[in-house]
Amino acid sequence: MLSNHRLHIIIVGCGRLGSYLANKLSHDGHSVVVIDNDESAFNALSSEYSGFRVEGDVTEFAVLKEVKPDKADVVIATTREDNVNLMVAQIARRIFRVPRVMARVFDPKREEIYRDLGVETISPTSIAGDEFLKALKKQPIIEKAEP
Amino acid sequence: MESKPVLIVDDEKNIRLTLSQSLEPLGLELDTAVNGEEALAKLKEKNFGLILLDLRMPGMDGMEVLRQVSRLRPDIRIIIITAHGTVDSAVEAMKLGAVDFIQKPFSPTEIRDLVSRVIDREKLDEQKADDYHSSIELAKRCIGDRNFDAATEYVRKAISLDPSYPEAFNLLGALLEIRGSNLEALKHYRAAISLDPTYEPARRNLHRATSMEPKGTITLE
Amino acid sequence: MKVLIVGGGKLVYFLTRALISKGYSVTIINRDAEECKWMSRRLKATVVYGDGSDPQILEEAGSHSTDVMLAVTPNDQDNLVICQLANLRFHIPRTLAVVNDPENEEVFRKLDITAISTVGILSSLIEQKAGFDQIINLIPLSEGKINVTEVELTKDSPVAGKALVDIAMPENSLIASILRDGRPIVPRGATLLLPGDRLIAITLPENYGRVLRMLTGDVS
Repeated sequence: MLSNHRLHIIIVGCGRLGSYLANKLSHDGHSVVVIDNDESAFNALSSEYSGFRVEGDVTEFAVLKEVKPDKADVVIATTREDNVNLMVAQIARRIFRVPRVMARVFDPKREEIYRDLGVETISPTSIAGDEFLKALKKQPIIEKAEP
Repeated sequence: MESKPVLIVDDEKNIRLTLSQSLEPLGLELDTAVNGEEALAKLKEKNFGLILLDLRMPGMDGMEVLRQVSRLRPDIRIIIITAHGTVDSAVEAMKLGAVDFIQKPFSPTEIRDLVSRVIDREKLDEQKADDYHSSIELAKRCIGDRNFDAATEYVRKAISLDPSYPEAFNLLGALLEIRGSNLEALKHYRAAISLDPTYEPARRNLHRATSMEPKGTITLE
Repeated sequence: MKVLIVGGGKLVYFLTRALISKGYSVTIINRDAEECKWMSRRLKATVVYGDGSDPQILEEAGSHSTDVMLAVTPNDQDNLVICQLANLRFHIPRTLAVVNDPENEEVFRKLDITAISTVGILSSLIEQKAGFDQIINLIPLSEGKINVTEVELTKDSPVAGKALVDIAMPENSLIASILRDGRPIVPRGATLLLPGDRLIAITLPENYGRVLRMLTGDVS
């Protein structure tokens, strides 16, 4: 998936997406730090997960500093709250100068301004919508089903 | 020392794994132990040059391991791994010759750089140490040898070469505390903080040293 | 002048009331339906029910014609996004975020968002009362970048009896004025500082403590 170079990656939020990424990236040999403010979220990490786990609320600056974003190559924000993701991602990019920063953003309307601020945003809504459109374009419109 | 194996002592598998992976590029011979007992047993089998020791372990905790290693093999260098909020016994650790700390989580680069620095420190030539950083490194080497007076001299030299780094003042404060000169130590912690109000080790030391707790610890990392 | 406030609670209620009485036009965005109903009954303000960090809601609330926006929700992350949308998307001329974590004040500033920390204000008030009895008041100016403080010298002050030129004031600080026997003196290098003098000191937040200690000798 990524280059052979071993990256140091901070993943914010250990929900379904966060833990999936953490497990995969750790398995691929990268150095991973996962942070979540609920310790039970770490149960989703596989037994082979060889990275760090930190419990804490990343919107507190002191907690964010603890995971040392200045040492990270990538920060991925995957919490359930758009605004938390956008806040962490921005701080990582603009203050700690992390080379690549990604944030999951559920509401596509917020995405625009964040791209300009250097945050790569992934909107599951947009992606899902695009998938629908892609699928729709593949098949021609079928006649209405017979009653 | 470069050719001597390194022992990683940590109860958490992911830390052992992460350390092994991070240090691989250095080409050192690595070994691991899951607890203090295993670590001490392994000491008898191999001639380790460096131990990476997690302070917080169940069973025989890191400090006890440090005490034993310091007693049995004072020549082995030790890097201590801490977690946020560890009641760090850094002054006790320093008395036992451990002066390098790294706090979890850390990046592969961080631990690699620290290990390299500790290894290179052994090769430093005292005659050629005429800059701030070398003086600090020599001071740390002396602490590793438990030669605290010489360490103090090197730290003072470092300060005279460049008085703008908080680390030197904090280190000097810690050495003074070990010697028992607590009031002087406070002055140096304050000096470190006035140079950099965000310098955590000195802030923690000052807070601890000026609060009423009986059992204090000096913070170096 | 049109003010847009995102948030709720007593703060927003009383703030809105105060602004309206001064003639401002106020719109509130709030995410709690009950609170929205309650406020729209009691306030002559437009109340919009919704998420203030949703661009659509901001649009509906008239952001395009808003002059001042205040984000005072309990969550720093929400206040950040609200203000950023306000600035970058709707070009609202003046925006202000309240932050709960005092460390985020500086963080937000670095992200070009004006922020104030109520915790920061309260804790500095407490610090002053506790540590420095000779301090009369503290006015933060310029968005917190300059402090103006009045300090009364006692005979134990380290600088009492010294000439101003002999006192090593830290960089970016100065004694702007001295009140002696009720009369202001413009301080010159040769001016001797005497016990009973009230000095007006101008400092930055980062050297405020040092200057105060220098003048009062208080090391607490």
